[in-house]
Amino acid sequence: MIWEVFRQEAAGDYHAHCGNVHAPDREMALLFAEIQHGRRKPTNSLWVVPQDEVGEVDTDEAVFGGTTDKSYRFAQTYSVEPAAEEVEASEEEQTEAERKRGDL
Amino acid sequence: MTMDVEEVKRRAGPREFSPADDLPEEYRTAATRMLEFHANSEIMGAYLERPFIRQSPSLERKLAFSAKVQDEIGHGQLLYRAAESLGIKTREEMLSDLANGDGKFLNCFHYPMTEWEETPMIAFFVDGAAMRRQATLKQSSWEPYAHAMDKVCFEEGFHVKHGESILAELMNGSRKEQRLTQAAFEEWWPRILQFFGPTDDQSTHHDFAADVGLKTMTNDELRTAFLNSYLPKAETYGLEIPDEPRIRQNDDGTWDVVEDDLDWEEFFSIAKNEYEPGLGQINARKEAQAAVEWVREVLDDREAMAAGGHTGQAAD
Ligand SMILES: [Fe+2]
Ligand SMILES: [Fe+2]
Repeated sequence: MIWEVFRQEAAGDYHAHCGNVHAPDREMALLFAEIQHGRRKPTNSLWVVPQDEVGEVDTDEAVFGGTTDKSYRFAQTYSVEPAAEEVEASEEEQTEAERKRGDL
Repeated sequence: MTMDVEEVKRRAGPREFSPADDLPEEYRTAATRMLEFHANSEIMGAYLERPFIRQSPSLERKLAFSAKVQDEIGHGQLLYRAAESLGIKTREEMLSDLANGDGKFLNCFHYPMTEWEETPMIAFFVDGAAMRRQATLKQSSWEPYAHAMDKVCFEEGFHVKHGESILAELMNGSRKEQRLTQAAFEEWWPRILQFFGPTDDQSTHHDFAADVGLKTMTNDELRTAFLNSYLPKAETYGLEIPDEPRIRQNDDGTWDVVEDDLDWEEFFSIAKNEYEPGLGQINARKEAQAAVEWVREVLDDREAMAAGGHTGQAAD
């Protein structure tokens, strides 16, 4: 049985997928995950999940973000006076997301 | 073993505690109170703005308002999840408390909003104030709260700038538009000043929430930061700041708001869900919730069926 492993580096971080392990049950999966994925990189916590239990939808089936122009959803569309610091920070994140989607 | 309150205070720091920690009831209750209030406010704000998907004067504004309302409902859902993970109240309990008038939410969302010229008062000033606060909550000690704020703050920049863009458009519009916008500002400005509540010495819940790291800034600090950014902006767009409530900037950059100029009787009756126009808001949402009761029932049936069966294909 395959178990997917998610590692959290430090308390407060997100658990991010880092690989998987073969194991006959949850207890062994936790042990193997600890040995394989928790030893070298900084680790605060691991989640292990049976691979069968992971649902997936990918770009073959879905058009993430839709098919029409959604620029009205983004801060950088609205050019107004310089924004407050935390609004600027949000806009930078949105611009970065736009770049990663290849829309810039 | 359950952590005691002293240990929680000692360890308190950004994103320090997660559902894996056995936290004392005092912490979990205080965090639930904050999160439930925040989640309820997202939902009630969405209902306040929803009519403007229809009332928007252009297709662009319509699209933006529908995206924004969708975001706000999503924020509510994220926050109910973060609240539920404290083990004090379930999402169902919080949603039905909101419907039956027991759930508390932000003062500004108790007032009806009917005119287009009012929309930037919420979408620019109230979202701006909320964003100021939410940016600091990324440092909350309850990790699910901080994680929810990562996503919320990512989305909020659009809300605030869209609101500002409406304000800019109106204040560069016809004289009638400018006059109506100024009137809306005068009506909403005292409510916006009350967004951060009364000054600290009257706030009962702050000390504990700050001591255990649930929040990192006082209401006074947040109000000051908000006024530093948003008061000049109001002036930039040609809005006249009303003479009352009197506000004055001190030499150290902080602001004094003359509290006697604000209607605290109204504020506290709102806080208790006893303010008449606010009840209209609560009941309108209750009716909307009841109208889609059948959808939740269908979903619950499917969940029960999936739990009983073996296929695990409930999402087909
Ligand atoms: Fe929101
Ligand atoms: Fe918002």
